Amino acid sequence: MGVGLRTVHFDYILENHPPVDWFEVISENFMDSRGRPRYILEKIAERYPVVMHGVSLSIGSTDPLNFEYLRKLKALANDIHPLWISDHVCWTGVAGRNSHDLLPIPLTETSLKHVVERIRVVQDFLERPFVLENPSTYVGFTGSTLSEWEFIGRMAEQADCGLLLDVNNVYVSSQNHDFDPEEFIRSVPHERVVQFHLAGHTNCQTHLIDTHDNHVIDPVWNLYRLAHQLTGGVSTLLEWDAKIPPFPVLHAEVLKARQHVGADLADEKMSAPGAGLEGVALAGDEPSEGPREETAVPHPLHHIAARVE
Amino acid sequence: MSTPGAPSPSSELDRLQLWFQTVITDANGVDSGASSEEAQRLLQLAPGELEKVITRSRALSAAERLAIYANAYHTRLLECLGEVYPFLKRALGDEAFDGFAFGFLQDYPSRSYTLNELGRDFPRYLQETRPDDDVDSEPSDNGSSAEEAKDWPDLLIDLARLEWAIYEVFDGPGVEGQSLLTTDDILGVGPERWADARLELVPCLQLLATRLPVNDYFTRLRQAPAGEFVPVPSACESFLALTRRDFVVRRYNLSRTQFELLSGIQQGQPVGSAIEHAARVSGVGVEQLAQELKLWFARWTAEGFFRAIRSSD
Repeated sequence: MGVGLRTVHFDYILENHPPVDWFEVISENFMDSRGRPRYILEKIAERYPVVMHGVSLSIGSTDPLNFEYLRKLKALANDIHPLWISDHVCWTGVAGRNSHDLLPIPLTETSLKHVVERIRVVQDFLERPFVLENPSTYVGFTGSTLSEWEFIGRMAEQADCGLLLDVNNVYVSSQNHDFDPEEFIRSVPHERVVQFHLAGHTNCQTHLIDTHDNHVIDPVWNLYRLAHQLTGGVSTLLEWDAKIPPFPVLHAEVLKARQHVGADLADEKMSAPGAGLEGVALAGDEPSEGPREETAVPHPLHHIAARVE
Repeated sequence: MSTPGAPSPSSELDRLQLWFQTVITDANGVDSGASSEEAQRLLQLAPGELEKVITRSRALSAAERLAIYANAYHTRLLECLGEVYPFLKRALGDEAFDGFAFGFLQDYPSRSYTLNELGRDFPRYLQETRPDDDVDSEPSDNGSSAEEAKDWPDLLIDLARLEWAIYEVFDGPGVEGQSLLTTDDILGVGPERWADARLELVPCLQLLATRLPVNDYFTRLRQAPAGEFVPVPSACESFLALTRRDFVVRRYNLSRTQFELLSGIQQGQPVGSAIEHAARVSGVGVEQLAQELKLWFARWTAEGFFRAIRSSD
């Protein structure tokens, strides 16, 4: 059971060494850092397994792959030895621009071929296990001819890459595009799934937004149980990127996953060496989808504020 | 007719992505973006025809769905700029800051894989646009004088420059864990070789010359309770050094002479030449400086300004 490494928890982690199995780090927050963020990451990587999770690879863009970015990504990986490197099935910009958002790909044979070719190049370059995540999406294209699960399943098989199955994203997209999330979970190639993401989202009534700012809701836990059962259990990580709670609350949220999958967890490929968090009050905070939220913004917003005297 | 300088799509996927990006990043929203010349060049769609490209959901039209991305694009990047420039935002107020930041994003959209680069050109943008008319009422509303209002744009630009410098020093190359120059190292050079010696500043040291005493203003902003107006300081050319120790950015006010001296050293001049240059520029005799120089170098050494010294032998 892993946790996303966030700036606000740096001091807590270094001082308390919480019994977290592993951390997922946002690659872009550290690949250029020559200051405190990089120092902290190296300290954490000495003690915990890490995986690198990116938001700017833009694997689906029609712009050329950015090899300056890839070189820096590889250099960071060489320093901190992540178990794998992941990013998203999306594009972030075109014509040299970056929206810093995970933009949706039209689900067609053409874009599938385009993405597969680029994944192969990236994998050859990185020389490390490479994994792609299904993003939350808010529009569909009339030109799409494939379901999302067919797209990512074929993508993973043809490119020979891993899948990061974001269970919350499956749920969010299912509500936004009116498909059955269980069908998605049942249809992806389970042997390709190497990691799960869990997160909270915001219910805007007319649609859901993947805000990573709340507890995981029950329907997502239900999907998680199904995914766990079908895959045999893989590494699970909780993302929390806005209104970030104190570290023990965050950690306790991901440890709830144990309750949802019970004894099956013994099969998990990256099992937990640490004990649970005794004494962290969870009673009464069972989540529900929140009220309509006009200002909800999808993640990612990843930025590290300076320390100055 | 194609827009001069606009990229030509190399494939249908490319065309769709260029169109999508044009629509969601338009300053005036999705409808404006879809009807813009650039979007129409890529996909000719009459008003109300967005659903030829983007499906509607049970609850939302195609335009409403695209607006989720358009809103996220601007909100996210404004939020990021606000985090890079927290005290500029504080000084301006949220609404005025967002107005400038929004204009900035139109002129300087992100072209980097990292959000850390997003704010690099913001001081330049403020300098180019000189936010006089839009914000000169800000200090006046708080009982400040016309003179202060006149200095307000310069203060904002200087504050932006200071915050960007802080940001760079914080995450740029540093010297944590490395041995730095000590007073003993400097004394060991000997007075006869001192003038020809070259000092190497630590890589995280930045020097700033500003039109107003922005470093003190920054300190007062940090100390003031939220919502309390901090008076605009009088225009007065000011100088400061920024460096980093133990991963925390440190700020030091400098005199003009100190600034010129450190600038000369930073440019690689021998200490003697840097001192002569500083004395000449600031109109102070070298002899007058002699006693002060000892104190300055002792303080700067103690604060970790210097990494190495090379004497001529």
